[in-house]
Order: sequence, then structure tokens, then C-alpha cells
Amino acid sequence: MIEIVAAPPYLTVQDAGRPGHRADGVPGGGAMDRWALAVGNVLVGNGTGAAALEWSLGGGRLRWDRAGVFALAGAGVEAALDGEPVAMHRSYRARAGSELVVGRLVSGRFLYVALAGGIDVAPVLGSRSTYLPARFGGVEGRLLRTGDRLAIGETVEGVVPVGFGAPAELEPRYEQSECGLVRGPHVELFSADAWRVLMETAFGIDPASDRMGYRLVGPAIEHRGDAALPSAPVCPGAVQIPAGGRPIVLMADGPTVGGYPVIAVVCSADLPFIAQRMPGEVVRFRAMTVDESQRALRRRAVAIHTLAHLARGG
Amino acid sequence: MSPSGWSDPIFCPLADSALTIALGERADGETSARVRAVAAGVRAAALAPVRDIAFGYAAVTVWYDALHTSYAAMEALLQPIVAAAAVASPAYAAGREHVIPVQYDGPDLEDVARRTGLAVADVIARHSAPTYTVYFLGFVPGWAYLGELDPALVVPHRTEPRARVPAGSVAIAGAQTGVYPYAIPGGWHLIGRTSVGLFDPMRNPPAVFAAGDRVRFVPGGG
Repeated sequence: MIEIVAAPPYLTVQDAGRPGHRADGVPGGGAMDRWALAVGNVLVGNGTGAAALEWSLGGGRLRWDRAGVFALAGAGVEAALDGEPVAMHRSYRARAGSELVVGRLVSGRFLYVALAGGIDVAPVLGSRSTYLPARFGGVEGRLLRTGDRLAIGETVEGVVPVGFGAPAELEPRYEQSECGLVRGPHVELFSADAWRVLMETAFGIDPASDRMGYRLVGPAIEHRGDAALPSAPVCPGAVQIPAGGRPIVLMADGPTVGGYPVIAVVCSADLPFIAQRMPGEVVRFRAMTVDESQRALRRRAVAIHTLAHLARGG
Repeated sequence: MSPSGWSDPIFCPLADSALTIALGERADGETSARVRAVAAGVRAAALAPVRDIAFGYAAVTVWYDALHTSYAAMEALLQPIVAAAAVASPAYAAGREHVIPVQYDGPDLEDVARRTGLAVADVIARHSAPTYTVYFLGFVPGWAYLGELDPALVVPHRTEPRARVPAGSVAIAGAQTGVYPYAIPGGWHLIGRTSVGLFDPMRNPPAVFAAGDRVRFVPGGG
């Protein structure tokens, strides 16, 4: 078990999501930054999609009841285990009674605490991810609170690496602010000028951004026609343009269908760059073909696979 | 145009891990039946790379394993299945019928009567008269898009959305009617409520309604 000794303002259980239920209106959900989730997990010997803590908005403390292995991934934090500094993207052993203190988030928005064995809450519709809007998954479908205790899955002795740090070239880094955009199903409803504005603008992240969607601040993207279409399926990364022209990038818990024109969709491998942006920070876009976007996704998968291999001792 | 008079399906990538098949531009019953037939056909084909299927009024989206399958390969796999299913739509089996008891006492009922120029009893009669078809589920878990509302009941969305609409609220907005599966913010006019639970994540499938089902609202009880 681990105990939440002091919960940060935002703390949930998240895994790789619950695909397979979109036709019932259930979003894929899961970690906002799949890259960081996967890296944290492979550093502790887990599969890429094991359930981990998704942490944001401030510091907090965790305590281990019995020895376990963990790694921090994603947003940069100052952290210490029993007073000793803890680096990002490196596996550590916590002893029974060990306490991890996480300070403020120095860079980025979502920190992942991956635990060897994964967090063992009951899956709901095939996933342990917390879906806050309908209050299911994770722990009672809610934010974790101070005093909550979480069961950790069993690990096979000897498989879990300790003290292994991700090489710099395989570590998630978020300096890149330029994200690939693939033309969306309704791009024809926009003028060439609208597309150019989308490509040339440094968009800010609006404070009214959450796990459902990030609103972008910048010049309006003009429609040629009507802003309302018959509702059609959408996905995380879809750039919707409602009336008024202010883009919304749908995120992990976004609706399964939408009636606003989708001008473009963010490359899946680049979506973590947006997820990790704080309000006031900027994102830029560049055009990508579907094939380029898929190649980026495959490169990412290979990098994670390589890291998993290295973490297990090559 | 295909021999059936339908426009040909249009395939389009939805970024790197999904593709959308557009089957028309209208939000009507005929298009919806065709969409459901195509979605059912893709599901029945059980293609190895497919990860999920969703659909709206006039489009079906298929998620697939993009690490091992290209967009072009996925489109080629789907083409014959979609072509076969799209023309077979009239044979699509009708779903279950649900009778939903509704207490027509919503806070916006009188406002709707005023806006439509109808008596309250007339609003209730017109809302509970049709047998609605579930076109699809989406937006939030368990939300069913139903067709079709009596045109006399069409009123625009509320100008001031509510921060929290209680679960089970029966509502109308524009040409649509629906039931809130759980408490969420909403801008629809609340005309009644039902105690029938429409979504339970501990069940599989979690939603009571399925696309193609028929729904009747019956005044009283709730």
C-alpha cells in the first residue's frame, strides 16, 4: 500500500485509457501525457499502460507501507525521498516507511508517479483511469485525498530495475512547442487564409483548459460557412473551431462526438507537448501528413521499447 | 452516386489513429439507419487492427492500431465492408423498445409552453406521442441522440446554461430531445424527469439505450 499523506490539489489514478466504449459515449480517457506515463512505467518494469498517479497543481507527500520501486516522469518537480533528492525519469527503491515529498511543479503541468506493480484499483469498463465528470474509475471516480491508501500490484522479484535513469535522448522533453497538425475532416470549410493563421500563430493556452479540452488564445480562425454540423465522432487532439473562431483542442476526457468543424487533428506523438503546457505558455503548429504523423507515433513507440529494454538491463 | 441513390462513402483520416467514413450531410432518420448499418458491418467484420468504433448522425469513425497498420491499408480493408453494409441498410434489425415513465414537472415546462404558444398539456402530449429512434450515443457517457422531435416543440437552447442539471432530467433544445444520464452542466430546457437510470459503468454495456433502439416517454410515474 501507499498512503497519500498530503494530497496535491489535483491527484488521480490514470492508465492508458478505456478504448472500446466510445459508441456508448464513453471517452478513451487515460493519462493526459501518454509518453510520460509509458516512460515512468517502463522505468519501474511495468507495461507501458499500467495505472499510475497523475499529479498537478502543487506539491504533496506519499508514504510506503512496504518496500516498493517508483519513478517520476513528465512535469519537472523538486522531490526528495527521505530527504535525498529524487531526479526525474529514474527508478528508486522506497523502503517500508519511506516518504516522498514533492514540491511545486517547476515546469510542465502533469507529473506521473509510476509504481512497480501498478496501482491496483478495480478496473471499470476495462480501465483503472479516473473519469471525473461521471465519477467512475480510479478511487470512487474522484480526486485522491489526504489519507487515501492505494494497493499496489505484485511484482516479480528481480525484474524491477532500481537506480536506472533514462538516457537524455530517450527522456521526455517538452521544450518543443511546435506540434504536428494533420488536416481534419472539415478543412474544406475554411479558407486558405484560416489555415495560414493556424500555422503562423503562437497560440496561448487559456486558463479555462482541463482534461476535456484546451482552449487556445489567438486570432480568430474564420469559417466559410456554418459553424454547426451534424454531430460526428471526434478524438483527443481534434482542433474544433466553434462560432467565434477560438480553437479548442480536445484532450483525453473530451466528448466522443462534436458538432463544430474540425479543421485539423494534432499528431498523437505531439499531444503531450500541448498537455504539458500551462496557461499563458504557447504552442505552434506545423502541417503534417497522416503518414508523417504515423511515423512519429512509431518512432515514439520504438524509443519507449528501447528504454524498457535498457531498464531491464539490456 | 451508388445504384441505391446514396452518395458514395467518403473516407478521411482523423489524424494518425482513426479514420472517418462520411455517409451524407443530413441529420435524418434515413442517414442514421445507414450509419448504424455501416457501424454494425464494421463491428461484425472484427478486423484485427480495429480498436474502437463510434458514430454520429452521418459519419462512422474507426480507431485502429496505427503502429502496425497504415491509413491506406486500413481504408482498403474497410472499403468492401462499408460498400456492402451501406446498401444493405434497410435490412438493419430494429433494436429493443424502452418505455420511460416521465414526471412532466420540469422547471422549464411553462417557459417552453409560452415560447411555443402551446398549452402545457399540449407540450406534454406532443413530447410523449412519438416513438423515438436512438440514432447514436455520444458526447458524454450514456447520452442518446433521439429522433425526431415534434417540430412544434423546437425552441433554441437556453441563453443561460445551468451549472448542474440533475440526472434523469428529460429535456429539449433545438430539434432534439434527450435524458441527462448523470448530473452535468447543460443548456437544454428541462421539461420532466425520470427515475430510470440510463448509465451504469459497472454494467457492460453500461448504457441502457443502444443505437437503433426505440424509446417512448409515458407521462406519470417518473
